[in-house]
This record gives sequence, C-alpha cells and structure tokens, in this order.
Amino acid sequence: MLPAGSVRRLAAELWDALDSCAEQQRQLERSLRVSRRLLRAWEPAETPASEPTPGPGANEEAPSAACTPSPQDLKELELLTQALEKAVRVRKGISKAGEGDKAPILKPGSIATSPATRASARLSTSRGAGSHAAETKPPRGMRYTRVPAKDLPQRRLLSVGDGACMGKGATKPEPGLRDQQIVPSAASRAPEAFTLKDKGILLQLPEVFRKAASRNSCLWAQLSSTQTSDSVDAATTAKTQFLQKMQTTVSLRGLGGWRTEVLALNLVSLRRSNSRESHCRTQPLGKAEGPGYRGISLTCMQSGWPGSRLSVAEVEVEVGRLQKACSLLRLRMGEELTADPKDWMQEYRCLLTLEGLQAIVGQYLHRLQDLRTVVEQQLGPWPEGRLPRASSPCAGGADPIWSPQLLLYSSTQELKTLAALRLRVAMLHQQIHLEKVLMGELLPLVSKQEPLGPPWLALCRAVYSLLCEGGQRFLTILREEEPAN
Amino acid sequence: MGRRRRRRGDPADAARALPEAIAALSQTLPAGPGPETFRRAKFDRPEAAPALWRLLFRVLSPQPADSASAAPAPEAQARWVKSALRSQGYPRRALAQLPDDGSQGARELLLALAWLLARGPLPERLLAQNRVRLGDEMPVCQCEALASPGPPAARVEADSCVDIRHLQWLMGKLRFRWRNLMASQQEQCVLLSKIHSYTRGCHSDRSLGHLSVTETELLRDPEGGRQDTVLGACPPEASQPTFLPKIPGPGAGDLEPLARELLALQEELREATEARRAAWEAGVGGRGPEWSASRRALQEAVGQELAALQRAWEQGGGLGQPHGPGRLVRTEPGVPGGLGLRATEVIGALRSQEAHLEVVLRRLQGRCRQELAKLAGALPGLIWVPPPGP
Repeated sequence: MLPAGSVRRLAAELWDALDSCAEQQRQLERSLRVSRRLLRAWEPAETPASEPTPGPGANEEAPSAACTPSPQDLKELELLTQALEKAVRVRKGISKAGEGDKAPILKPGSIATSPATRASARLSTSRGAGSHAAETKPPRGMRYTRVPAKDLPQRRLLSVGDGACMGKGATKPEPGLRDQQIVPSAASRAPEAFTLKDKGILLQLPEVFRKAASRNSCLWAQLSSTQTSDSVDAATTAKTQFLQKMQTTVSLRGLGGWRTEVLALNLVSLRRSNSRESHCRTQPLGKAEGPGYRGISLTCMQSGWPGSRLSVAEVEVEVGRLQKACSLLRLRMGEELTADPKDWMQEYRCLLTLEGLQAIVGQYLHRLQDLRTVVEQQLGPWPEGRLPRASSPCAGGADPIWSPQLLLYSSTQELKTLAALRLRVAMLHQQIHLEKVLMGELLPLVSKQEPLGPPWLALCRAVYSLLCEGGQRFLTILREEEPAN
Repeated sequence: MGRRRRRRGDPADAARALPEAIAALSQTLPAGPGPETFRRAKFDRPEAAPALWRLLFRVLSPQPADSASAAPAPEAQARWVKSALRSQGYPRRALAQLPDDGSQGARELLLALAWLLARGPLPERLLAQNRVRLGDEMPVCQCEALASPGPPAARVEADSCVDIRHLQWLMGKLRFRWRNLMASQQEQCVLLSKIHSYTRGCHSDRSLGHLSVTETELLRDPEGGRQDTVLGACPPEASQPTFLPKIPGPGAGDLEPLARELLALQEELREATEARRAAWEAGVGGRGPEWSASRRALQEAVGQELAALQRAWEQGGGLGQPHGPGRLVRTEPGVPGGLGLRATEVIGALRSQEAHLEVVLRRLQGRCRQELAKLAGALPGLIWVPPPGP
C-alpha cells in the first residue's frame, strides 16, 4: 500500500499527460475528418439549395451578371463540352465500367453543364466557364436526365446558359431540364462527382480570396518595414523612459527624485548588462525581436535591483534553460569520465574539463538560488493562484511580424518521418518528466518500507517495472529454496 | 540636426496624432473599447473599468478566445489579470490592491496596458494569434508539443485507489494513447500529402504551389457551412477554454528537482575531480620541462571550449533555431529551397534530439535499477530475475 497522498500526486501527473494526449488526439481527428472529406468525391451540399442567393464567398460572378449568357460564355462552354467529350471517352476507355451505358457520352451537353454549373458555382474565377471534366460513374438508371438541379437556382446565369446550350446538344433532356429548373429536386444526387484526385489540378482560388491574400501579405510587409525605419529610435527611447518610470515609482516615495534615479538605473543596467550578457537574450513576450524592443529587455532582466525584478515568466524561461543545460552538462561529464586518456596531455585536459564543469555547476547553483529568492519575493502582496507547470515562450506566438516560414518536404515518407519524430521527441520529454516525478516519489517509499514481506515484494516488482521498464516489462522474484537433502 | 527639429515639432504633431492612434488602437485590440472609454479611464472614471478589465483579459490570455468559449465571471477575470500581470513582472503594487469586482482601477489598467504595449509588439502578436491560418502548419520547434493539457477531463478519482496498480493502469493507458496518436498522425500525413500533390499548381502564389487543406476546404464549400469547415480545417489551435488559462511560471516546487539534480551533479564531479587531481599531482614529477608552456595552452583551450559549450547550452533552442509554426509545402526533391526550411534539416535536428533524450531516459532508468538492486542485495534468499533486454 502506498500513502494516498503520493498516489494522488502521481496519478495527477499521469492524468495531465493523458489529458494532453487526448487533446492532441481530438485535434488530429478533427483534421482527419476534414481531410478525408476532401479526398472523397465532392458531393453537392446537403442543404436544399433553393436559396437563390449564394454565400458570401463566390460572389463575383452571380448576381451582377446579366441573365443571358454572353457569346463568349457560350463559346467557352462549347469548347469545354468538346474537351469533356474527349475526357469522357478516355475515361471510358480506361475504366472497365461494366454498364455499357453510353449515356454520358450521348449527352455531353447535360454533363457539361451540370458539373460546369456546380464547378463554376464554386471554383472558377472567370465569368462563366469552369473547366472540369465530368467524372463518369456508371450511371444509375436514367440519372443523366436528372441534372443536379439544386445547383441551378444558385447560378442563374448558367442555368439560363444551360437552357440555351441545350439547343446545341441533344434535345432530349431539354424538357426535363426545364422542368428541373422550375422544381429543384433536393433529393437527387449527381451521378458525376468531383474528386480531388482526378481534377484537383483544375481548382483555382476565387478572385476575392486571391486579392485579399495579396493585400494581406502587402500589409504585413509594410508593417515589418516600418519596424526598421528611423522613427523607431525615438519610439524606443520613449518606451524605455516610460518603463523605467514605471519601475522606479515602486521604490520611491514621490516622483520628484525619479530623474536622477533613472539615470542611475541606466548606468547600473549598462554595467550589469555587460557582465550578465547571457541573460539579455530572453524576451519577455514571445520573440520581441524588433529593433524597438531590444533595449527594453535589458532593464527588465536585472535581478536584485530593488525596483526591477525578474518576472515570474522570465524565471520560468531561465529555469527551463538551466534544465536543458544541466542535462547537456551531464552528458559532457559522462563523455569525459568514460574517455580513456592516452597520454598525460589528454589526462590533464580531461582533468581540467571536469574541473571546469564543476565550476559551471557551481555557477548554476548560484543562479538557481537567485531565482529562488526572486520567486519567494514575488509571493506576498499579490494574489497567488496555483502556478502550474511551465509553458514555453513559444506559446505566446513566436514571430508576430512575418507570416509563417515555409517548411518544405518532398515526399510522403519525409512528412511521415518528420511528424513521427516530432511526436517521438515530445513523448520522450513527457516520459522523462514522468520518470523523474515517479522516481522522486516511489524510490524513497520503497527504500523506507520496513515490513519486507510479500506485499513489499509486490511493490518492488511494480516499482521496478514502472521505473525501469516504462511499465512494459516485469521482473521475476524467486525465493531461493534450501535444497532438500 | 534633424532630430532636434523633429523634437521641437513633436508636441504639436503628437497632439494631432494621439486621437488617431487611440482610435486605431481601439480598432485593433480585440474587445477594444472605444476612444471615449480610454479618455474616461485616463480620469479614472469607474464606468470605464469593466471594459478595461475585459480588454486586459483578452489581451493577456494566450489562447485566442472566441464567442464559443464561455467568458469567466468578472471577478475571476480580474483576479486572473492581476496574476498574469504580476507574473510578467508588472511593477506597480497598486494593481494588486484594486478590488476584484472590476468596478475600479481604470487608470491603473490603462497604465498596465501602456506597459504591455511598451514592452513588446502587442498588436502584432495579437494579430498573429487571431488570424486565420491558411496553410497546413506544423510547429518547427518543440515548444508546444504535448506540453499544455486542455481542460481537465472528468477524472475518476476514487479515494480507494491507493494501490500502485492504479498507477500501472494509468501508465498503460498512456502508452496506448501514444500509439493511437502516432497512428492517427501518420494517417493525417498521408492524407495531407495526397491533397498537396493533387492540387499542385493551383495556388496563385507560385512559391506555395499547391493548396492547403484550409484552402481546398474553402473551395469545396464556399457557401453554407464555410465558417465551420474553415475553422475545422484550421490546424490545431489551442482548445477553447471554459476555464481560466494557466499562467506560466514556476512555483518553488519546480526549482526543487533542478536543485537536486545540480547538487547530485556537483557531488559526482567533485568525486571524479578530486580523485584525478590527486593522481595527477602524484605523477607530475615525471613531466618534462616543456610542461609549463603546454599546461597554460591546455588551460586556455579548455577554458575556451567550456565557455563556448556553456553559451551553446544556454542559448539552446533560442535565437539560432527556428521557432513557431511552419507552413507545409510540398516540393519536388531536387528543387532548391529558396526561402524555407527543409524538412530534412528539421528531421536531422529531431533525430539528434531524440538520441539525446533516449540517453537521458536510459540513464534515469539505469539509476533506478541500481537503487533497486541495492535494496535487493540487502535481502538474502531471493533471486531477482530482470526481464530480458529489449
């Protein structure tokens, strides 16, 4: 039996890990649903599309257009029709669609217009014709006459165009089409559907979107260029002065003497910044890397100065860094200890390295002590909530100025490897953290327990498996029997 | 000369520019109060206070909140804002003394807002946080991966579970979830790769070349459920909190394990160095006359090497390495990358990280084994059979 407090604490840690996994899984599944849906055939929307007004997205062609198609449209449509005929023939040749129903070929017009209708409803940027070959599924029954009319009301331009176009192609479906125009049947499913695999390359982003995207990137570029202009110096000075004023109003009685104090602060911070170079690289709010902010972090990083303390967020960053440095230090130490010096020079070098490492550890311990006093000082007049485990600076939004960098991959395998490695590294981090926590609680318990009977053995066995094998394998304990003589 | 001229003209310019700036600010900030509220806050009018508490809450919380998430109560918001500001190092204690009901403190909050604006590029950060992500993004760094748990799920915390088997069960559950995650992620990669290759050549931006899931989704459903699907297609953002977002920061508890580790390290190093130093001093008589010169050279060399190492450790993951999300773009294998990070480089970095972490984990497990072996050694009459190696 373990003390309840221990178990609760450890269980809480494990539940934290479980929760973050669950969260990630949820997000992944959401993305998976979306991606799977995109890769399936794109069926028309389920909502009865009897509303004549299209959504805000693809507005560019519908309402303002005249109800009669221009000759250009008709011509484009005709070209499209011919292209589609060819495509259909090719597809027919390739696919051994058993139903020798050549209906799709016979009715190129209807096929042309129906996906064209749908397609241009969504995709094209030009005025009339999208160019999409029909996907021929083996038509079920006489489906070809039942054009997915539910789309037609959406694009009045092309529905009229359909009617006009019908005159060229086969005449048979025409009455049916007209009927359908009047009575949109929401229940009918299009026999031809769009799949990304076959026609993905024909997609085009809508004009509105493209314009918005280019304007967006222009504006971001403008923004980043203003960061480097001349006026930034005056702004920086003003900001620095303001921040210093804020700091010093804490420790001073009145604001009268703040000017001299600010000067003193400046000098001290300069001096300290030279000696504590390594601290100055942290940025309090994500990566505030712009030229206007580099000066600010210097004043904020001085610890021990009465008015300016390290903030808790900065302490956390520093702790994280120390942790990483610590494990790397240990690695290095391991290398030195296992190295086999061949001559006295190497031996001396090894000795010096180890002594140097020892000095560094001493430095880190001092730094840790400083951080500890800062954390303790911060408790007090401020309302204290439970401060949870560290979240990293990246969480603040790393690079606010530029749009995200591109990550180029060249094959599916590469992408899979990348994702798998990322996950593996994250899992290892989690595992290491859990291992440390478990060690901290369980090892003392096991070594302190007095009654060394079977329950203790069971505990040992369980602890061994948890700590040494990641919970995956178990050891066996055998009792040595006296040989029966 | 130019500077002086500019400064003399400044007050007049500033007087004109200020209202514009405030108007722009209230437009940019999420839940931004109007310019009138700002003016009232300057005079510490109580009616401006609630708006400013809300504003600070929105500005400081790391997750982009939207209407879907329930906003916490004003008192909770106020308390949270105070803790968050304090954790960022806000120097004025007057903030802590403001009442929690959010009825006062407009001027102090205005000062806090100004402080935040002065410290970092706040509007840009908010913009970057709240924008729609068009690309399929994958974080390049390791910062967020599996780090922040979402809202605490309903946990069956039966008080009777004081058995270690409960922990074993939880561990097994965790391993199972990891496996699931891996499988789902691999599938998502395959699907993404397909979508990217099927839409090659479609993007107006030549450097991107193909559409992302979000953009394809946009094309599929330009009307109707567009908002939902676009949001749904957006790469994982933090879940909408129905609880208060956590404030980063170590408690005193976080520093303990680190201190223990450092002390343990120091002890090990002390042992090693003392032994070697003693051995060295004993044998020093046999060195030749060139000894002192080379000794100094060695000292310097080692000093420099360690200094470089220390710099590298402390900076590790900081400036040099890329940060933040990267938009996935599929290219042909031979094509030179222009501006963009190659997946192969990231893979290389990740592999070395993985190797390092595995070493650390093995070492920890090895230490446990030693401890337990010591205990086992104390008990005669038992044979401990460890499981066969991996």
